[in-house]
Amino acid sequence: MQQGNFSPQESLQLIQSMIAKTRKDMGDNSSHFLLWGWITFVACIGQFLLKNVFNYPKHYLVWLLIIPGVIFSIYMGIREEKKRGVTTYVDDSMKYLWIGMGISFFVLSMIMTRLGWNTNIFPFFILLYGLGTFISGKFLQFKPLVFGGLTAWALAIASAYFNYDYQMLFGAAAILFSYIIPAYMLRSKNKSVTA
Amino acid sequence: MSETENKLSEQASLKLINEMIGKAKQSYVTKGIASIVWGVLIVICSLLTWAQIEFKFRLGFDVWLLVFFAVIPQIFFSIREKKQKTFVGHDEQTMSYVWTTFGICIFILSFYNSRFGSNDLTSIYMMLYGIPTFITGGVFKFKPMIFGGLICWALSVASIFTPINTDMLFMAACGLFAWLIPGIILWNRYKKQQSCYV
Repeated sequence: MQQGNFSPQESLQLIQSMIAKTRKDMGDNSSHFLLWGWITFVACIGQFLLKNVFNYPKHYLVWLLIIPGVIFSIYMGIREEKKRGVTTYVDDSMKYLWIGMGISFFVLSMIMTRLGWNTNIFPFFILLYGLGTFISGKFLQFKPLVFGGLTAWALAIASAYFNYDYQMLFGAAAILFSYIIPAYMLRSKNKSVTA
Repeated sequence: MSETENKLSEQASLKLINEMIGKAKQSYVTKGIASIVWGVLIVICSLLTWAQIEFKFRLGFDVWLLVFFAVIPQIFFSIREKKQKTFVGHDEQTMSYVWTTFGICIFILSFYNSRFGSNDLTSIYMMLYGIPTFITGGVFKFKPMIFGGLICWALSVASIFTPINTDMLFMAACGLFAWLIPGIILWNRYKKQQSCYV
């Protein structure tokens, strides 16, 4: 922005550009969505195959993929925090949203550990996938994330009518529509803007 | 707006933005009432459920239906408030996304409750209470709500190890710490602010 006076129109443009900047950051950081999207997608499909095709009794061990995911995610987060210059209002909102989501996933995992992993667990996780992406989409004014969240909720309701084995596939579909596809769209949009 | 015609200096623009933030904050303070209403409802419904289990009696209706009845005046007041407003602040809009999403998730969770019919869902309800409370506290830099959110999550984990009657006491504590106490703090701030204007 130039040093001189600017009209309310330009003020609004400034605010819009702040949102665009955050969206760009999200484009740069869509790697978080992609990292967690792919880990969860592979784990859901992997567990389905191990349980139903290979009849492996410890099929749930595939979820140990989350441990290196957490370590790598923390490393990426620290690196990005160092690079980040100005923090916008949207940045701040996104930060609290995803800290909250991280804690909630942890709490839900603890609840499910107690209830047993062979019960109806996936509908609850799918519900949370939808929550995180829907709010992110609204914060960033990025429709594919909003639609991703709505799709995840529709799948969360539908999955309640299926048994545990098939709920995994609903989990994979939800993560594909709410994390992976919107993240690639965000990334390509960012590339086209910066090109 | 008369300003639309004129050019504003950076200082004046910042002042305008500050004013908008101030106005939005003031309207948010007014919303302390919503927080109090929800807090009171959750505390009363939880304690009534606890009393029914503990003293083995039935009220003859599901006390949690009170929550749904409370939604109706809330919708009415929010529509009326929206009509009276000349602008909607960004933080207010942010909060509307967060709390609308929370409402949708509570609805889906109620569906699960009827579908799976499990008492263990109380832990998940408490986990869900923590999310919008924590985000609201974080966005507004309002510590009582940040702590409220953290307390919801801590009680959600603790409730895994306790029977349903204790869970109901935990749920009442969630209503108290996440909404009722922060709501009262907001209401007091609002009253103070009002007395300053007089």
